[in-house]
Amino acid sequence: MVKENIKEKISRRDFFKSSSFGAKAWAAELLAEDEARPKETKWAMVIDLQKCIGCDTCTVSCKAENRTPPGVTYNVVLKEKVGTFPNVTKINTPRPCMQCDQPACKQVCPVKATYKMKNGIVAIDYNRCIGCRYCMVACPYGARYFDFGENYEQEMLGYNSYQTNEYGVEKGERKKKAPVGIVRKCHFCFHRLQRGEEPACVETCLGDARYIGDLNNPDSIVSKLVHSGRAVRLKENMATEPRVYYLK
Amino acid sequence: MPSKTIAQNITTLVKSNRVIWYGFLLVLMLVGVYGLSMRVQTGLISTNLTSNVPWGAWVAFYIYFVGLSAGAFLLSSLIFVFGMEKYEKIGREALLAAILSMVLAMMFISLDLGRMEKFWHSLVYFNPFSVLSYEVRFYGLYVLILITELYLSMRQDLIKNAQRNDLKGKIAKICSLGSTDLSKQSEERDHKWLKILGSIGIPIAIFGVHGGTGALFAVVKAQHYWNSAIFPVIFVVSALVSGTALLITFYIIRQKVMGGQVDKTMVQSLAGLMIGFLIVDIGLQFYEYLISAYSLDHHALDTLAILFGGKFSLISFWLGQTFIGAVVPIFLYFKFRESVNALLIGAIMVVFGIVAVRFNIVVPPLLIPQLGGLTGGYYFPSSVEWMTSVGVIGFGLLLYSLSVSILPVDLSSPIEKIGGGVKDNG
Ligand code: SF4
Ligand code: SF4
Repeated sequence: MVKENIKEKISRRDFFKSSSFGAKAWAAELLAEDEARPKETKWAMVIDLQKCIGCDTCTVSCKAENRTPPGVTYNVVLKEKVGTFPNVTKINTPRPCMQCDQPACKQVCPVKATYKMKNGIVAIDYNRCIGCRYCMVACPYGARYFDFGENYEQEMLGYNSYQTNEYGVEKGERKKKAPVGIVRKCHFCFHRLQRGEEPACVETCLGDARYIGDLNNPDSIVSKLVHSGRAVRLKENMATEPRVYYLK
Repeated sequence: MPSKTIAQNITTLVKSNRVIWYGFLLVLMLVGVYGLSMRVQTGLISTNLTSNVPWGAWVAFYIYFVGLSAGAFLLSSLIFVFGMEKYEKIGREALLAAILSMVLAMMFISLDLGRMEKFWHSLVYFNPFSVLSYEVRFYGLYVLILITELYLSMRQDLIKNAQRNDLKGKIAKICSLGSTDLSKQSEERDHKWLKILGSIGIPIAIFGVHGGTGALFAVVKAQHYWNSAIFPVIFVVSALVSGTALLITFYIIRQKVMGGQVDKTMVQSLAGLMIGFLIVDIGLQFYEYLISAYSLDHHALDTLAILFGGKFSLISFWLGQTFIGAVVPIFLYFKFRESVNALLIGAIMVVFGIVAVRFNIVVPPLLIPQLGGLTGGYYFPSSVEWMTSVGVIGFGLLLYSLSVSILPVDLSSPIEKIGGGVKDNG
């Protein structure tokens, strides 16, 4: 992949050199700028399905970390039995938001409340979203949830008194305002990444099945795993280009 | 003498009927207000929507009314653009119905928004890649065109009415917007503009408003059942079906209530149009099912299974969409074409049947989970969803009844040949 990038650049440079439009100086400047810029971190997640034991720890820790209300579960572990008796196995597939590079949800949002950040994460602007739920029907992974305004106040005293600072924004008490009445989803615990911490699911995973890292850095563990030949993505035919990879 | 008593009888009948009718609408609206208060207080938790089935009755009614509007408008353009004078009696009514349907559609979609109070975001923020973003703007443009057209088509009659001293006169005065020009030239100018606006309106209605609403669904690749290019076309054709049916219904009922003469030839011809559209619609829908079935995509197959054999399929597909919405009206048309009442019943059935069609578009695909292992959905509208829907529809009927009794919806004299030809009859 890196090699490909270099090749692409050379051909671009050749193109500029050979161009007879007298824009050489400008082109050279442009290329220099391009190369000088440090590559930004672009997050990706790798989940090793061989290591996942289906314990649901990720689901629970995600709930605790993001204090998601009833009915909103950024992460679930899909458990499917495959095969016929006696040749049956169970496949556990943890499903966060795929942070797609071509997100179907972002495409349809009428107000640009859903957008792609430079770091690869697909974010929702809680104050802009109007709650039309178009993105929910468009997401091929069922990764989006509507916040109906329910809470755990019955089971957990003080649930409403504090909300997680998702996307690094302080939210204060849980009242009738957004995120109630809008759509929510996993954001790779962006607020934790900002502090230099791993997402809650990665940190707590019992089987150590989850990895988070920078796919722009060819030496990162996720890059190596992604290029290991074991990596697959869900519903590749959807052209969403997910940033969550599974190791078969 | 006897003729006078009959006339008196009719007026008293109409008067008492009017009380009953407005009383009925009031009840509907009170139910709606109660539902609305629940909706506003508790938010979408008052619905039976879930994260699995995020769209339901309100979205179905929204596309239903957008469809009625587009259908009614396209019918009006037959008169104002293509000069089909045989339908001229329903020209203004068609425009009025188109405007009011759009109002209802917008009410339904506002009800559906998780954050109603932020609806204005959809006008301020624009996503050039979102079909919905364009839709919102098309709706606005379309309604403006409709209102201008209705004004132009009624202008002279409004001016004439403004001379009266009662409420009708006062309202006519306001609605005429200060115009007093009753000259022939001004009438010709009106007709010219009607033709121009209608011509602009046709592509907007077909591709922007209703085809676009179909595209809203058709572009969603994740929902295999919606994701076909034939979908927007079906939307437009079924809009024509429902729009024509609505106008037949309104026209006949109004003539009956007002004691007017039902123009049987026109009704028959309209019913013919409706049945023609309906048959094309059924054919296209068959292709839609065929495409889904041939894809062998499990999501599409499961959708079909739910559509034809799911929990509510007996009511919504077999009874609503097929029997009430298609079989009986087609039968009535071919068997009892001579009876206005039969045609009226057929049209009313189609108006109801298309509601089922809209539900069958929105709900079934959403019941199927996107990934194996996710929980599937279940949906039946909650009492609040029903109550608000009933209320909104009641409100729409009220607006309609008031408009037709106050505005000059009926022609005082037949429209002249468009383009300024000679008047050929009385
Ligand atoms: S998984 Fe769904 S919600 Fe997440 S980015 Fe992709 S399309 Fe959007
Ligand atoms: S629900 Fe919010 S994020 Fe989703 S499409 Fe509508 S406005 Fe955008």
